Amino acid sequence: MGSRILFVVMIILALLAPQVLDVFWVNTLIQILCLGLLALSVDLLLGQTGIFPFGQGAFFAVAAYTVAILQVRLGQPTYLAAPAGLAAAVILALVYGLAVRTSGVYFLLVTMAMGHIVWGVSVRWVALSGGDNGIGNIPYPQIGSFVIKGASPYYYVVLTVVVLCMLGYRVLIRSPFGVTLRGIRESESRMRALGYSVGAHKYVAFLISGALAGLAGVLYVYFNRLVSPSTASLHVSVEAALMVIIGGSGTIFGPFIGSAVILILRNYVSGHLVQWMTVMGLVFIVTVLWAPDGLLGLVRRIRIKESGRLRQKGSRRA
Amino acid sequence: MDWVVQALNGLSMAALLFFLASGFTLSFGLTRVANMAHGVFYLLGGYLGLSAFKVTGSFWLALVVGGAGTIAVSYLCERYLIRRTGENELAQVLLTVGIVYVIADIALFIWGGDSLTIPPPAFAEGPMDLPGGMVYPKYRLLLIVFGVIVGGLLWFLYKRTQLGAIVRAGVDNREMVNAIGINIVRLFGLIFSLAAFLAGMSGVVGGAFIGLYPGAEWEILILALVVVIVGGMGSLGGAILGSLIVGLVDSYGRWLFPELAHFMVFGPMAILLLFRPSGLFGREA
Repeated sequence: MGSRILFVVMIILALLAPQVLDVFWVNTLIQILCLGLLALSVDLLLGQTGIFPFGQGAFFAVAAYTVAILQVRLGQPTYLAAPAGLAAAVILALVYGLAVRTSGVYFLLVTMAMGHIVWGVSVRWVALSGGDNGIGNIPYPQIGSFVIKGASPYYYVVLTVVVLCMLGYRVLIRSPFGVTLRGIRESESRMRALGYSVGAHKYVAFLISGALAGLAGVLYVYFNRLVSPSTASLHVSVEAALMVIIGGSGTIFGPFIGSAVILILRNYVSGHLVQWMTVMGLVFIVTVLWAPDGLLGLVRRIRIKESGRLRQKGSRRA
Repeated sequence: MDWVVQALNGLSMAALLFFLASGFTLSFGLTRVANMAHGVFYLLGGYLGLSAFKVTGSFWLALVVGGAGTIAVSYLCERYLIRRTGENELAQVLLTVGIVYVIADIALFIWGGDSLTIPPPAFAEGPMDLPGGMVYPKYRLLLIVFGVIVGGLLWFLYKRTQLGAIVRAGVDNREMVNAIGINIVRLFGLIFSLAAFLAGMSGVVGGAFIGLYPGAEWEILILALVVVIVGGMGSLGGAILGSLIVGLVDSYGRWLFPELAHFMVFGPMAILLLFRPSGLFGREA
């Protein structure tokens, strides 16, 4: 019940945000939502299935590049380019899904190497990707004669898509499929012994995760209006994983909280300090060593401690 | 003739990759730490070597300083950071990524963002005539010879000495090795330092070959990872075969299909994963 009220309050705050905040912060919010969605795609594998993807940026970037190429190079309309971006990410996930044959840290390394291929192509295949310059001047999304122009209108589009994704995600992880994924996370061998097809479940989870990451890429490219190899770089994948850990894995809000923490910190620090990469690195180190369950985990731990203390008091009275 | 030149290019790249991948695979096999900082140790070793070269003018001293300096940094990272993560693989990966960010940023601050190269030793400068009318850089040939020597030394260390036997036993069952009275923590530290030395040294070697620049830490790490994934984690033989495959495929790929060079390296990896998820010489994870 509490989480439902929280959800409604957050929706209202999110709806009011563009009325109160200036353009800089509305843009930051759009980034938070897009990268939060990417982090959510990581968490489907990390928090629910228990496998750590390190190449999620690949789907994000392939979707973004597909949209850019279709819109700018081929002059296709948004209603074709945006679904095509999503489809490209899913097709890539169909291939990269091979990675689920490996497990543990091998899976992490393999997905990392796979993610790097996309970066390599974006740098080298200049005729297709524009090389280091990337593809710029991506038009505003347009449906018929209706153009979604400016930060606030686009913010509402992103917010709608993200909220729908969160609701869909909630249904997914509460479905028998989601429960099976958590079963795999807890004990793969036991699930196999119970007759579940572990490989197929992981593969489908990987596909859904790739689709979510692709959707995040589509949303992001219409915001950024430029796509370059940095969109495909390892940093995107790695930071998405960090967002999940900071926010708390295995939750729906966690990835978005993590995304907010990282992006606000980065936007703030990079405005004041040239060495913001060092700061990011220290955030990685501090999170891993002192808050391995993330901020939500920290809150939960404090709550458990509190309720334990209350229970102790109660029993003493009795 | 071009085919032979590309083969030599591939072999010299394989030698460089072997220095990196052998350290990564041995330290991973024993400690189970997937050290993302291996690539930044390469870069750091190269930069330290470059500074040492500027002061002393000696390539060999640069090699020693690059290797030793990297050991010092890696020791601090292992002793005070990585060791605290216990056996949580994800935590180790994220922690070492954090180390990469910090070291790479500091290196950028000290050595700047331009691509820098270390001059090779005087006797290996310039081209050399090979039979068949070919001309080839001496330094790359030296690299191949160097690769064979280091490979031989590591092989001897791993298969013929007591330390190697302990390491091999540790890869198989580290609890048992610990139980029979061998200080496993010290052993981890030792192998971690050996890996860092190899990475730092290869930074100097690679600095005279492909150059040192920000971003190299990830590029070289990924290539080393592919070597290790193809060869199988924790296997020295796998690292040798893996670097040969990746080095040669990379060289021919760049030459034949320059735009798809990355596909060329990762293609064999993907196909191999279909049939042998644990690599050529790896065991089931």
